[in-house]
Amino acid sequence: MTAFLRRIARTRHGPIGLAILLVLLVVAICARWIAPYDPKAQVGTSLLPPSSAHLMGTDNIGRDLFSLVLVGTRASLAIGISSAFAALLIGGTVGVLAGYFRGVAEAALMRLTELFQILPVIVVVLFAIALFGANFWLLIGAVALAIWPLEARVIYGQFVQLREREFVAAAIVADLPTSHIILREILPNALPPVIVQVALDASLAILIESGLGFLGLSDANTVSWGQLLFTAQDFLDSAWWMSVFPGAAICLAVVGFNMLADGLNEVVNPRAVRGAVGLPA
Amino acid sequence: MSAALLLDVRNLVVHLRAENGVVRAVDGVDLTVASGECVGIVGESGCGKSTLARAVVRLLPNVEYAQLSGEIRFGGIDIAALSPAALRRLRRSSSFSMIFQDPLGYLNPTRRIGPQVGEALSDTRSRTETRNRVHALLREAGLTEPATIARRYPHELSGGMRQRALIAIALASSPRLLVADEPTSALDATVQLQVLATLRRLHQERGMALLIVTHDLGLVAELCDRVYVMQAGRMLECADVFTLFDTPAHPYTARLIELSARRHRPTPQHEAAE
Amino acid sequence: MARFVVLRLLQAIPMMVVVVLLVFTMLQLTPGDPVQAIVGQFPVPPDFRAAIEQHYHLNDPLWMRLMQYFLNLLHGDLGYSFQSQQPVIELILQRAPRTLLLAGAAFVIGVPIGIGIGLLCATTRNRHVDRFWTTTALVGYAVPGFWLGQLLVILFAMRLGWFPTQGMAPLISRAHGAGWLLERVRYLALPAITYAVYEATRVARLMRASVADTLGQGFIVTARAKGLSRAKIIRRHVLRNSSLPVVTVMGYAFGVAMGGAVLIETVFSWPGIGLLLIEAIRVRDNQTVVGVVLFISLAVILMNLLVDMLYGLLDPRIRAAR
Repeated sequence: MTAFLRRIARTRHGPIGLAILLVLLVVAICARWIAPYDPKAQVGTSLLPPSSAHLMGTDNIGRDLFSLVLVGTRASLAIGISSAFAALLIGGTVGVLAGYFRGVAEAALMRLTELFQILPVIVVVLFAIALFGANFWLLIGAVALAIWPLEARVIYGQFVQLREREFVAAAIVADLPTSHIILREILPNALPPVIVQVALDASLAILIESGLGFLGLSDANTVSWGQLLFTAQDFLDSAWWMSVFPGAAICLAVVGFNMLADGLNEVVNPRAVRGAVGLPA
Repeated sequence: MSAALLLDVRNLVVHLRAENGVVRAVDGVDLTVASGECVGIVGESGCGKSTLARAVVRLLPNVEYAQLSGEIRFGGIDIAALSPAALRRLRRSSSFSMIFQDPLGYLNPTRRIGPQVGEALSDTRSRTETRNRVHALLREAGLTEPATIARRYPHELSGGMRQRALIAIALASSPRLLVADEPTSALDATVQLQVLATLRRLHQERGMALLIVTHDLGLVAELCDRVYVMQAGRMLECADVFTLFDTPAHPYTARLIELSARRHRPTPQHEAAE
Repeated sequence: MARFVVLRLLQAIPMMVVVVLLVFTMLQLTPGDPVQAIVGQFPVPPDFRAAIEQHYHLNDPLWMRLMQYFLNLLHGDLGYSFQSQQPVIELILQRAPRTLLLAGAAFVIGVPIGIGIGLLCATTRNRHVDRFWTTTALVGYAVPGFWLGQLLVILFAMRLGWFPTQGMAPLISRAHGAGWLLERVRYLALPAITYAVYEATRVARLMRASVADTLGQGFIVTARAKGLSRAKIIRRHVLRNSSLPVVTVMGYAFGVAMGGAVLIETVFSWPGIGLLLIEAIRVRDNQTVVGVVLFISLAVILMNLLVDMLYGLLDPRIRAAR
């Protein structure tokens, strides 16, 4: 693990991404203690511009925006990461079944994946929320529902490729149980590109979550960055800070995950990254 | 002798950067080709002969090199030191061209053959003139129905036809030297012989010098006057083709010849097929 | 070619069927009263309840209900909006041209810019230029479109007052001719630019990768050997070959865009399909929600079909494979 981290640290974007995410993670965990004010309490006049007392100003009901943004880290990261892993679970299962067993399962599952990939993500999520409402878990489910095809395709591709390799043939000949072949023989070898995809998916999930929050469709009981932007929309003329700071936080998290994915990709797949670019004279 | 030298390469070094360390693909090589001469470079795959061939005509991939040095004199000009614009001018004016092993990949899949040949000609021609010239080039490269071929896309041609199209492109600038990197390896046996015959005809009719890079000693024996043997980025020996086959100076050469003879020993079926 | 078109059309039909099945299943899974699930949160008088039950055959077995659902759809019956007292199909047809206008403007601006930046990054010999634009595209990708919209509104509409903040026309307009057009353009500018930036960053990333791939191909070496200038190599050999994958993705993105850029339409209150969907969700007008979702899916699937055909025209290899 430390060796892996050291290799990421040597890539171009990896260390920056890792640093950003570490800071965000610490903030997410310690938000309650770092936050200068109770994020849910009215602590000042409403719509105060940023000052030394309120670093990011106050919102329309006099809450401290800096504290709100800090606390919002938790919901955004939690939904981002959980959705990415939930998508890994769904997409992984589909990809493994289709890639290992082939035949009818392959055809049916990959058609389904294709269909989900064609449907616009945000519409899928919105439809689910329209019908079932939004709480924390449903939100994760809905976002995962939208991004699982990406995982399924990556894992499917890996399995199709690895299944033809000799060590798998050997395992099949040795009559090892199928679950053993899938989980112990193929899966570990299939993981590297999947890890990259999970990092990318986490950034996508954060973007989707913030979009839902902005539409006023996220869980009303948890503070999230997108939700702060939903409120900000009505005060664009009087309080620019209500829009600028939460939005910047979203960017930071998304850039963090993307840079981590870039770094991971460079570790996993060094050749592709250092390929020749540029047209000679 | 040196007055008639067309190509004179001195101490050429191409060191590539790799994941762990440096690959010395070409490591201090000297090479000469006289006007109208046919020279072969043989060696196992990975010995650096293709890199050498591409370096000689300044067509190396655009990556960072650990070291790239040496002198490449073509007709007295050091082309290794030429500016990009001067190099472009030289390429379009009776200098050197190159053909490749995999003709499909070296033709643009989305454009018809005609324009791909035509754009290698100099720009100041009328449309009809260009078309006639393209047809003449395709015919010279051994394609009997140039008007039809010119309208085709690369994937609609056979391997041999594609290689001939590539030859036609190479001929467009009336080169004095044609560098051929494994020109027949990707082709069927019978087609190999036909393409080979075409190369020999062009060599004789046009007085065009050939520099052929190959692992196929049979091809070298057929075509070349003089042969370089390359191993691990260095030249092992250079001799005229008869000397090389009769009395190889180096045990490595002897082994290459022996291996090649074993691979090419004709069997009855083989002859029947041809 | 004709056979190919027919074949692809036939392949699109099962996709549509599956989409309808998905929508139907989700409606079935909705907890609570089925009539309420179809109608949304509106009070339902008893005689009206009976009409709904009959229209959707709610008291019949599942397969009958499904059949009826399909039959209704085949008649162009996307349901009735109880919020606006109009058939859903009318609502959609009224909104669609506006979304098309916004998306069209955004693509016309954004796609060429993205292609240009991607091409520049991949072909430049200057590493700093490449790095600058690659990083810009990365950050651009991370900026949520709706937040960019808010920032532009704050800067150009609120502070500088150059553009209106929202809507697509003033409530009362007395402008005529060129003045009218200018007025419309001023309303369109900010949402279109926001959307264009969003698309451009995606196109730039894609194009950069695609061009890098093309530059590694043999025919580029051949082009160099011909002594062609950089400009000619890029124009004749790089641009077309590298644009092919971009065309696919952009076609798909345009399909999605016709379904409405929900978020961007919301920021600017642009009364398109996306805003229709959001308004319907907010007031729980489920008939409209379902109708819009089906319409968007149809748009996306048809657009994909169109892209497939376009791709065939651009790439002779595929044209031959038919």
